[in-house]
Amino acid sequence: MAVVLKLDGVSKSFARVEKNDITNALENINLEMHSGEFISLVGTSGCGKSTMLRLIAGLITPTTGTLTVNGEKIEGPATSRGMMFQQHTLFPWLTVEKNIAFADTMAGKNKEQASVDEVNRMLKVIGLENFRVDYPAQLSGGMQQRVALARSLICKPEILLLDEPLGALDSFTRMNMQDEILNLWKENKQLVIMVTHDVDEAIYMGTKVLVMEPHPGRINNIIDIDLEYPRNRASSKFVEYRRQILDLLHFGQKED
Amino acid sequence: MFQMLNEKERNEKGLLREDAKSLRKLTREQLAELEEREKTPREKMMDLIITVLPAVVLAISLLEYTIMPDVNPNPMRHIYTVVLAIVFVAYTAAFILGKIKESKGDKKLIRSLRYRAPLYAAIAAILTLYDILTIKTNYFTYPLVPCVNSIMYAAWTDRAELLRCASHTLVLMFKGYGLGVVLGLITGITCGYSRKVNYWIDPILKFMGPIPISTWIPIIAVLSPSLSGGALFIIVVGVWTAVTNASRAGVANVDKAYFDAAKILGASERQLIFKVAIPAAMPNIMAGMTQGMMTACTAIMVAEMMGVKGGLGWYITWVKSWALYNNMFASLFIICLIFTIVTKILNMVKNRVLRWQIGVTK
Ligand SMILES: Nc1ncnc2c1ncn2[C@@H]1O[C@H](COP(=O)(O)OP(=O)(O)OP(=O)(O)O)[C@@H](O)[C@H]1O
Ligand SMILES: [Mg+2]
Repeated sequence: MAVVLKLDGVSKSFARVEKNDITNALENINLEMHSGEFISLVGTSGCGKSTMLRLIAGLITPTTGTLTVNGEKIEGPATSRGMMFQQHTLFPWLTVEKNIAFADTMAGKNKEQASVDEVNRMLKVIGLENFRVDYPAQLSGGMQQRVALARSLICKPEILLLDEPLGALDSFTRMNMQDEILNLWKENKQLVIMVTHDVDEAIYMGTKVLVMEPHPGRINNIIDIDLEYPRNRASSKFVEYRRQILDLLHFGQKED
Repeated sequence: MFQMLNEKERNEKGLLREDAKSLRKLTREQLAELEEREKTPREKMMDLIITVLPAVVLAISLLEYTIMPDVNPNPMRHIYTVVLAIVFVAYTAAFILGKIKESKGDKKLIRSLRYRAPLYAAIAAILTLYDILTIKTNYFTYPLVPCVNSIMYAAWTDRAELLRCASHTLVLMFKGYGLGVVLGLITGITCGYSRKVNYWIDPILKFMGPIPISTWIPIIAVLSPSLSGGALFIIVVGVWTAVTNASRAGVANVDKAYFDAAKILGASERQLIFKVAIPAAMPNIMAGMTQGMMTACTAIMVAEMMGVKGGLGWYITWVKSWALYNNMFASLFIICLIFTIVTKILNMVKNRVLRWQIGVTK
């Protein structure tokens, strides 16, 4: 089903613990995103990227403004909006396969053949078939990240929120996983919003790159990436996009 | 272009020699063995001596007991002889079996014997010394401190009563511990999860927590028509406090990120408790249950010694009033045995439940 995600005048502030004031994490964000888009979110550390994803996921409520999916207000988390967190949140008491099947367990269908097949398929995609009965503590950082990715993909969310999903991977595995994610996205045509610190990755994967600036968090620019998939990182247009985005980011830093 | 080398080429370059490949299919035990440092012949000799030691000490003990004359009356003096002999034969048999298995490559048994041998040898040595100091020399005055054989004799002659008392203690303990754990888990988990419930339970915990178990006895004696019900009450209170405190802290301190992740994956409020909060708090809960077991052991002895008409605690005070010191020691020994076994079982459960923690904590 095609979805439209709308952020309308969304701001989010947090109370601080030590001082009696607030942090303005996001200020007046207005955005519209559609199924089939792949949005890369870049910006300096602390500019509210994770906050934006948590708002869309429904884990926190906006201070002002509204978030809607197909006109319906987001009131809380739902399996139609999947999220992979920045810090790893695998359940240490569950094995790899049980972690991946967690959403199915919650829905009470983890014993069904369809679920078992899906878990197996995910294990194959992330290349961890041999580690299905290991506990997260026995995996490397990158392996844990891949499991977390698989776990968030299992319920086939219409909106997929990825918070630096490939941060802990070596450049080789990273490139492989980028292609895997792109394949899954092309297959399912969801709306993907992915936070990344890697400008190349943002351009390589996104249909749009959203550049944010901090204090308070705002959207600085939205750049449509007009390149065919699979993209060539060395093409002149690619390089031009990179220069442009790096300029924007640099500008954001100079200000504070 | 560079190419990935195949196995043969790698072997030629010395990158991965053929002989190293046997490493790939090791079992867990083989790996542990391999990573262990190779022992020197001297160390191997020491291992052998230590492993044989319990058998040697047991043999000495046997000789000492049978050959040296008794200075005090000692009816049915061969109970101890038989027991010592059985233990000696059992250990020797285990040792021989271990050696045979070792020669076939299975080192598990011989290792576990080597690990336990020092303790066993020490216990055997202490028993020998104790025997000499009691029945053989009367250094510890007869009959206040009876020899091992007298204790066994007393236990054997009064076995029916001891068995009845032991089962009385066990039943009371399981009832009290079971009820305390169940109630403690319910209140502890709800308190950790809900501030409103905690508001009401917390004062009770704060109020009951510091009161020593024995304080309840006179109150119970006045209020409760049956002391056995009163005993159950103090055990439950002790266990409940321990388990509630531990599981409440456990649940309250679960990382919020786990709840967020579970919510995203469609967990309901109920599932957040049962599939996230409880498993995440399991280490604390198990610690609370162990603590609760200790409390239960203390509580039951206090209760039985101070009022309940039954159980090993009662038996001990009763035989003491008749100056039956042999029986006193016999029941003391049985109490220790029961508590050790119960704690051991609980520990096994804990290791099983918390298997996922291997590699997380030290
Ligand atoms: N739960 C919270 N309580 C208080 N302040 C918060 C909270 N979460 C975020 N903030 C603040 O909001 C701002 C934006 O945080 P956010 O985590 O969204 O940044 P980010 O863009 O994801 O940064 P990074 O790239 O480092 O992950 C920061 O200044 C942070 O201090
Ligand atoms: Mg972040």
